[in-house]
Amino acid sequence: MITDIFTVAGKELREIFVQGDPRGRSRWFLVIMIGIFGVLLPLQSGREWVTSPISIVVWGWMPFQWVSGIVADSFAGERERHTLEALLATRLSDRAILFGKLLASLLYGFVLTMLILLVSLITVNLVYGRGELILFPLSMALGAMIFSILISGLAAGLGVLVSLRAGSVRQAQQMMSLGLLVLFVPFLAFQFLPPSMATAIHDFFVQMNIAQIVLGVVIVLIVIDLALIGIDIQLFKRSKLILD
Amino acid sequence: MDAIRTENLTRSFGTLKAVDRLTLEVPRGIIFGFLGPNGSGKTTTIRLFLGLLDADEGRAEILGFDTRKQANEIRTRCGTLLEYSGLYERLSAADNLDYYGRIWHMPKAGREERIRQLLEPLDLYDRRDEPIWRWSRGMKQKVAVARTLMHRPQLVFLDEPTAGLDPVASVALREDLESLAAREGVTIFLTTHNLAEAEKLCAQVGVISRGQLLAVGSPADLRSRTSAPRLYVTGKIPSQAVDQIKVNGLVKKIDQHNSRLVLDLTDLTRSHEIVTQLVQNGAQIDEVHKEKADLEEVFLNLVEDESKRGEA
Repeated sequence: MITDIFTVAGKELREIFVQGDPRGRSRWFLVIMIGIFGVLLPLQSGREWVTSPISIVVWGWMPFQWVSGIVADSFAGERERHTLEALLATRLSDRAILFGKLLASLLYGFVLTMLILLVSLITVNLVYGRGELILFPLSMALGAMIFSILISGLAAGLGVLVSLRAGSVRQAQQMMSLGLLVLFVPFLAFQFLPPSMATAIHDFFVQMNIAQIVLGVVIVLIVIDLALIGIDIQLFKRSKLILD
Repeated sequence: MDAIRTENLTRSFGTLKAVDRLTLEVPRGIIFGFLGPNGSGKTTTIRLFLGLLDADEGRAEILGFDTRKQANEIRTRCGTLLEYSGLYERLSAADNLDYYGRIWHMPKAGREERIRQLLEPLDLYDRRDEPIWRWSRGMKQKVAVARTLMHRPQLVFLDEPTAGLDPVASVALREDLESLAAREGVTIFLTTHNLAEAEKLCAQVGVISRGQLLAVGSPADLRSRTSAPRLYVTGKIPSQAVDQIKVNGLVKKIDQHNSRLVLDLTDLTRSHEIVTQLVQNGAQIDEVHKEKADLEEVFLNLVEDESKRGEA
């Protein structure tokens, strides 16, 4: 099954990287994104881009953004372009198709985020290094990697779920955009909390060890990722997809 | 062992019986035509055969495997071209075929050789690296047929492969299909409502309407079984001559269109008796010829009879 998963994932990535992504955007789109997040923003932020813990939020947000752009297409797109039934009529097992799609989205989000992280590191060193090598603190580098994998997994799991149910790619993309907004709800809600409650929450987090927070978030993300994959497996029914 | 064997296979969608007690045997190595009007249950039948849908009742064995329990074994040994070509338009023809070769775990060298083998006779090998969204519908359909054969399947399902193609592309694809089938030695289960196509390609045909199999056999068998031998007489034929032969026991049905009589007879070998009787009653005959009905007529008769039964 592993070979089959890689076969499906390989085709998905080939379609995206070699022929342009499902929204019809060319590889130039990727170059522009790398330019903005790998060069422009690090230039504006300076050394803070590498040293400030707040950057970790950016590394968490980025993969969700990248993955949500492509994962909506995974099943809704195949259905819309009438390629799904031919795929379902092959020898591939349900899980090989499903995990292949998930893996492609996850790898896309993770690799693109890591590439931008590397480019941004080079940018900061070239402009602000002054002969000194600036590196991400080990905890941040690890955090960025783990978060980008888990957030990519979250977006992939959610995206496949949405794509399985959506009537069209556009509908799936709209639902994923809503998902992106939901990610920001806690931050927005925090602004509107009564000052006493906001202070209490702030104090709670300040008192906590940063490692504890990261660990907590990682555990929550793992649980959500696994739950989403479980739901995806339950929803992936050949006969239902055929009749849809 | 038959390629396909079904017994009372039934599948409903709500109150609609899409496939109704289908009992069918398709021997190996032939092109079998499954004829039926739109919505008659052809595509649902293929989906049942591939285990993509479960039957409500009855059973089917494809290449000896049970569709309920061994669907994956079936899909491993079959190639399928369903309603749409199912090609990835952003990829090239070679990439599309290569992907399906990978799905069937073909080695890289084997895939490359197979792509050449399949695309060269279709005159598409030199253009194999072009993205196929640039291609005509006929060319895409040829690649889709090639894709179904990529992994050397034992049985191929083709669901209306020439639907939507212009006549030239249709004929070209039909010829390619015929030569590919002969070269590959596969069993082909072809659904169509193009009767000329079925007549030319298929060793056996089955006629389905409203989910029910109405007849099965070779096109020649069906013609002789389901339609009366027919006599065409052209000339100056007075009405009294027509009235006289109406009462002749040999004549089942008679139609007159201007100077032409079309007679359905019970025995075509005794047609000379009719001609003699017409001449004796003053007919001046220019031309007489006899023939059996074509498959289209057989098909229309069967479907019409079934509709009448359904309404009754």
